[in-house]
Amino acid sequence: MPRVDDRLPGGRWVEQIMGLPILVDVRDDVDEDQVSELFDWFRHVDRAFSTYIDDSEISRLNRGELDLDDADPEVCSVLARCDELREETDGYFDVRAAAAETIDPSGLVKGWSVDRAALIAERHGWRNYAINAGGDMRLHGSALPDASWRVGIQHPTLRQKIAGVVRTNDLAVATSGNYARGEHVFDPHTHQPPTGVFSVTITGPVLATADAYATAALAMGTAGSAWTARLASYEAMTILADETVLFTPGFPRAA
Amino acid sequence: MRKFITLVLGVTALALPIVDAFAAAKAQATVPKKKVITVSKTFTGAIAQTDRWGDMQVRIVVRKTTTIVIKTKKKTVTRKLISVKAPVSPNHTDRSIYINEQALPTLIQEALQAQSSGVDMVSGATDSSIAFQTSLQSAILQAKAW
Repeated sequence: MPRVDDRLPGGRWVEQIMGLPILVDVRDDVDEDQVSELFDWFRHVDRAFSTYIDDSEISRLNRGELDLDDADPEVCSVLARCDELREETDGYFDVRAAAAETIDPSGLVKGWSVDRAALIAERHGWRNYAINAGGDMRLHGSALPDASWRVGIQHPTLRQKIAGVVRTNDLAVATSGNYARGEHVFDPHTHQPPTGVFSVTITGPVLATADAYATAALAMGTAGSAWTARLASYEAMTILADETVLFTPGFPRAA
Repeated sequence: MRKFITLVLGVTALALPIVDAFAAAKAQATVPKKKVITVSKTFTGAIAQTDRWGDMQVRIVVRKTTTIVIKTKKKTVTRKLISVKAPVSPNHTDRSIYINEQALPTLIQEALQAQSSGVDMVSGATDSSIAFQTSLQSAILQAKAW
């Protein structure tokens, strides 16, 4: 659990789990054991959900060695939520889309595990923290000594630039983009990658939901931004390939 | 506690001739119990490729502290990550920015901006992170072997 040494209050730790760099930034004085508990949680999630680990519950479900009725209740609840989100997104968020008969819930697990990690942080009484899993994150309180957290939205073509700033005291922020090779977002209906959209950023109370909405809106292509305008409790920023940016009216932009 | 130490020192000073007390204190000061060596080193990760942004190469600075207990010769080594930087030279050209006249009624439309103001975190698609972590991991592996 490497700790980044700097002069800011609290501490910052980074570790690679679930194939992602996970960054925990706490601006309160916290017990390092509590930080370990968060990273232990992410490792537990990886063991249960990874499609790369042979004896994970998901791998065993996919091979037919494990019945859903016998699976861990956590695994069942994540898969149930995946089904709900498929309905909500008109099938654009589909954990079964990659290959028939196999499930890859990693698109939801990342956000869900961060939401649960935030609950651990709350239980320990952390007041000012950010938990970031590969660019999708939950933020609470403020980045002391500043009065809030400032989150840059990655510019789609200029690596060192940002296309906007979200300012918040309590929010989840997720971005899906097809400007990056690492993401495999495609339209489950046509099995083609979406065109005309660089990225979709969704903010709202729950990261798992925000992340699924971002993936779905991106898969919808240019129709996605109109769909985001209908979401309740969630706001969106869509960057189109023609370099137009579309915001829902309540998007929490920094002034 | 301080009062106690002062008291003990005072008693010792009184019990010994003044010259001997000074010599004893000096001898004690020149025989440390521990030896601490601190060195910092920069490690450069492997080059990882991203689609749009060209090559990504992470540079980390690690501080190694070696503590040796003189009496037992017991050696402890700790390595601390001091900084992580990803210097990148983008290999593309800026495209012209224009505003699409066709606005959607419920959405606020703007031209894409390129800002560089200080933020605490960046939200984005994970390709850069994959390249970043590949490069970071190789840099950390080098530091572990150091």
